This record gives sequence, structure tokens and C-alpha cells, in this order.
Amino acid sequence: MMNLLKTEWLKLKRYPAFWLLVGICLVSYPGINYIFLQGFLELVERQSGAGQVLALFIGEPFSFPEVWRTSAFFSSVFVFLPSVLVIMLITNEFTYKTHRQNIIDGWSRQQFMLAKMIDVIIITMILTLIYALTAFVMGYTQTTDPAASKTALLYYVLLFGLQTFSQLSIAFLIGLLVRKSFIALAVFLFYSFIVENLLVGLLKYKLGETDLGRFLPLEISDRIIPPPAFMNRINEEGYKHALALVHPHIVYTVILVIITWLLSFYLFYQRDL
Amino acid sequence: MTVLELEGIQKSYGRVQALKGVSLSIPQGSIYGVLGPNGSGKTTLLSIVLNVLSADAGHYRWFAGNERAHPRKDIGSLLETPNFYHYLSATNNLRITHSISGRGSEAGIEKALRRVNLYERRNSRFSTYSLGMKQRLAIAGSLLGDPKVLVLDEPSNGLDPNGIAEIRSLMKQLNADGHTIIMASHLLDEVEKVCTHVAILKTGSLITEGPVEDVLSDEDVVEIAADDMEALQSLWAGQDRFPQLQQLQLQDGSLQLHFAKGAADTMAINRFCWENQQVLKYLALKKKKLETRFFELTQE
Repeated sequence: MMNLLKTEWLKLKRYPAFWLLVGICLVSYPGINYIFLQGFLELVERQSGAGQVLALFIGEPFSFPEVWRTSAFFSSVFVFLPSVLVIMLITNEFTYKTHRQNIIDGWSRQQFMLAKMIDVIIITMILTLIYALTAFVMGYTQTTDPAASKTALLYYVLLFGLQTFSQLSIAFLIGLLVRKSFIALAVFLFYSFIVENLLVGLLKYKLGETDLGRFLPLEISDRIIPPPAFMNRINEEGYKHALALVHPHIVYTVILVIITWLLSFYLFYQRDL
Repeated sequence: MTVLELEGIQKSYGRVQALKGVSLSIPQGSIYGVLGPNGSGKTTLLSIVLNVLSADAGHYRWFAGNERAHPRKDIGSLLETPNFYHYLSATNNLRITHSISGRGSEAGIEKALRRVNLYERRNSRFSTYSLGMKQRLAIAGSLLGDPKVLVLDEPSNGLDPNGIAEIRSLMKQLNADGHTIIMASHLLDEVEKVCTHVAILKTGSLITEGPVEDVLSDEDVVEIAADDMEALQSLWAGQDRFPQLQQLQLQDGSLQLHFAKGAADTMAINRFCWENQQVLKYLALKKKKLETRFFELTQE
């Protein structure tokens, strides 16, 4: 396992796209949180009656412990950035036939896939760290109540990691199936931004309460980080429903992750290279 | 001792049968050439033994099954094209080869790059290399750690004449040091110059295999010449001393005597001519060119 990690690190550490996308994530993850924080601060500092009422209504989404959930939600919006990297990492192997060379040099197919899974885990860990640091710094600077628990919603770090790993795994599977970088990127981005959102909305509209759209590949893990409380206060029932779905969706996400990787291993195992 | 044994290997791509039950045995210490026209199944055969493709039927065994779990780690290979990470330098690419295969060391990487004359450009990105340099790097990758077996698919691809000569001499030197080399090629001259054994494939079937000498010679041809070629031809046309003589042919100012394989006795031929008042000014036991033999075999 350490050999696989070492070899993948040799590939990653000098890959310009890897550092570029890590850099973009380093800017964009805290960036989006900061933008929403500024909007929130402007709102609560308004002296008008309406502003004060709204501030009461919103609560303190950027203070401990709520900030873990708020930041997880906003940060998860940018999962498409590392998805691009994950797709590039697998499709590049096909483009330059280095996957063949890795096998010729002595890796088994399972070892190759395990190495790629390590890539996705490394990227997930980097993103989770960026999110956790962002949330911690925001919570540390914005919390005014000394009694507020810093750790009450800390488990959102794990949920963020699980959601990111699940969605990056789907991006990986698409890369593995399609093989060509730009086609795989187009398929993933078109599906994640348009097709799935349309299907989720359509299924909700057509089938109402059954809400079958929540079982679509990306939506399954989207539901483990519901929108922050203040975005749902208008629909209190809806918010409670979203929270109630978190636990079953954690189980569904774990099952989906297992299926995604079993399928990836199987596809690579039975394929001629 | 055999390095690799193949038994009834079959492979199809859809309706096209690329290999039709090929069985081979590659002896240790040989330079084994796999020859065949385009599409004959050479690369498919090597891809199967390197685990890049799965055979539909049949099996193969490296090192008589006596090696560790991953025998390919003891085999240096170049299959079809040089496959490297385009954004990495030669040195960093070979570090990955080393990390995966366990072959070589940091010093070994330097040695391999020097061996293929790529040391000066070791820190340049692979994407900046010419085709010949990429091929040299692939050969360096296969040489890393001095593996006891080298599998080289068209090793001269993209090399200039100097490069081709260098690689040939390198292969001979490695073979002299005890390495076994399995090489696929469609360059008959290359195979003839370096290989000790050869297998000829045609549309997925093995036509013949064995030591190059055996494959090349299906008959012995002795060329003789004298001042009076007409008299010499008459002598041989009417003789009954050599019942194994199969054919006479006057060609390019000499008389070609075709004997059954292993039946030509040049001393007896010379003596026979002398005793019949024909003084030979030229006598040679000719080897058939591989090119000739290859066309005979593949066009039959």
C-alpha cells in the first residue's frame, strides 16, 4: 500500500494541473464562504427594522457550532473543480497509455485501481482539510457566545469528506468509462449541472412526496449536507424533513461509494488494455 | 531451461482471430525474434504475456513457474510505443518505473540513461523529446535494474541509423552477459543480424520456429564457378555421384547446386570437379537470406 502511495505521489507532485486545481480550491472554498459571510454581516448590521427581524430569523450560521454545517454546504458547491482533476488523472493514463505501462512494469490491475483510489482519497483529504480550516477560522472569528460548542457539529467534517469522496468517485467512474478527457469532462459537467438537477426537479414535480430524485447518483450524497438552517426557515417542515433524511442518506452514500468502486475495479479487471 | 512457454494461445478481436493457438518455448539465453507481416499477431502475442491483453484460450508460463508472484517485475519491456508521463522528465519517469517494478535504483536510473545516450537530456520533459529519444527512454526503462529478460516490441522504431546500430550492439552485448531477449520485429535484416532463434507468424498462426540457422535453411546451396562454365554445367548435369543433388541453376556467373538439407559436402564437390578436369575458382556454401525464406514461408 505504501508503495502505491509513493508511486502515485511521484506522479502527482510534478503534475501542474494538480497544483493549479489545489490552488483554485484554496482560493474558492474560503472565497465562497467569505462572500456569504460578508452578505450576512451586512444584513445583520442594518439598522432598519426589517434587517433586524431578518437577522433574528437567520440565527448565527457563521458561529460555532452552526458554521460546520454552513461552510460544508457552501464548500460542497465547488466539488466540480476537483472532479475535473480526478477525471484528468484517470483519462491521462489512457491518453498516454501509461496505465498499460504500469501493468507491464509489474502492477496487477487491482493494484493500479487501488493506486487510483488512493489519488481520489488524497484529493478528498486535501479538500476536507481546506473546508475544515475555513470553517474553523470563520467560527473562531465570528463566534461571540463563549459558551458555544466548537465541536457539536464537528461530524460535518466527516460528512463533507464522505460527500466529496462519493462525488469524486462518480467523476472517476465516468473518466474510466469514457477514457477521453474532454468528452468525460463534458459528460460529467453536463450531467451534474443540468441533467441531474432537471431530473431531481422533474421527479419532485411529477411524483411529489416520493421524491425519487434523491436517489440519483450525486443527489444521494448531496442530501447528507442539507442547506443551512437560514436557507430553509421559510419552510420549517421542509428543513426538518431534510435533516431527517441525513442519516439514511449517509447509508445510501456509503453503499453508492462501494458500488462505484466495485464497478470501477470490475471494469478495469475485465478490460483489454 | 525455458524462460517462457506458451501453450495454445488464442485471441480474437470480434470476428478477427488474431492468434490461432500459438505454442512456443523460448530458451534461456537466446535472442528470440518474433517475425511476421503487419497484423500477424506479434504485438498481440507480447501483450498477452505481459498481461495487457487476456487470452481467450491457452496459457503461458514465465520462468517455468519458479518465480515470485509477479514475474513481470523481473522483465524489462517495451511494448508498441514508449508510454511515459508527458509532463515528467526522463529521470522522474524512470523513478516511477523503478517504484512499480522494484527494478534498479537511483544510480541504476543514471546508468540506464547513459547507456541509451539520454543522460544529457535527463531533466527535460518527455513531451519535448523526439520520437527517437522517446524510444531510447523506453529502452532505458526496460534496461533498468538489468532484468534477466527483455521483451522488446519493434525496438528500432523511430531510431536513426546510428541509434539502430547502437541498439543492435547493445542487444548482442546484453545477450552475451546472459540476458534473454524476446523481440518482435518486421525488420528481417534486424532479426537476421541479432537473433539466435526466430518464430514466424502469419495471420495468427505459427508457421515455423527454432534456431535461426534451422529456420533459414531448408536446403543446402553450394555455389561454384570455373573458367569454362558450360563444361562445368555439363559435368554436373550428367553426374550420378551425388544422389542428394536436387537442382542445378546457372545464376550470375556461377552454378548453384541445391542439395537436401545437411547433404552438401564441399570437399567432395571440389574433389569431384578436380577429378573431372574442372578447376574451381570459386566455391561457397550459401546461406539463404532470411528475407527469401520469410517470403517463401509467408506466401505459401
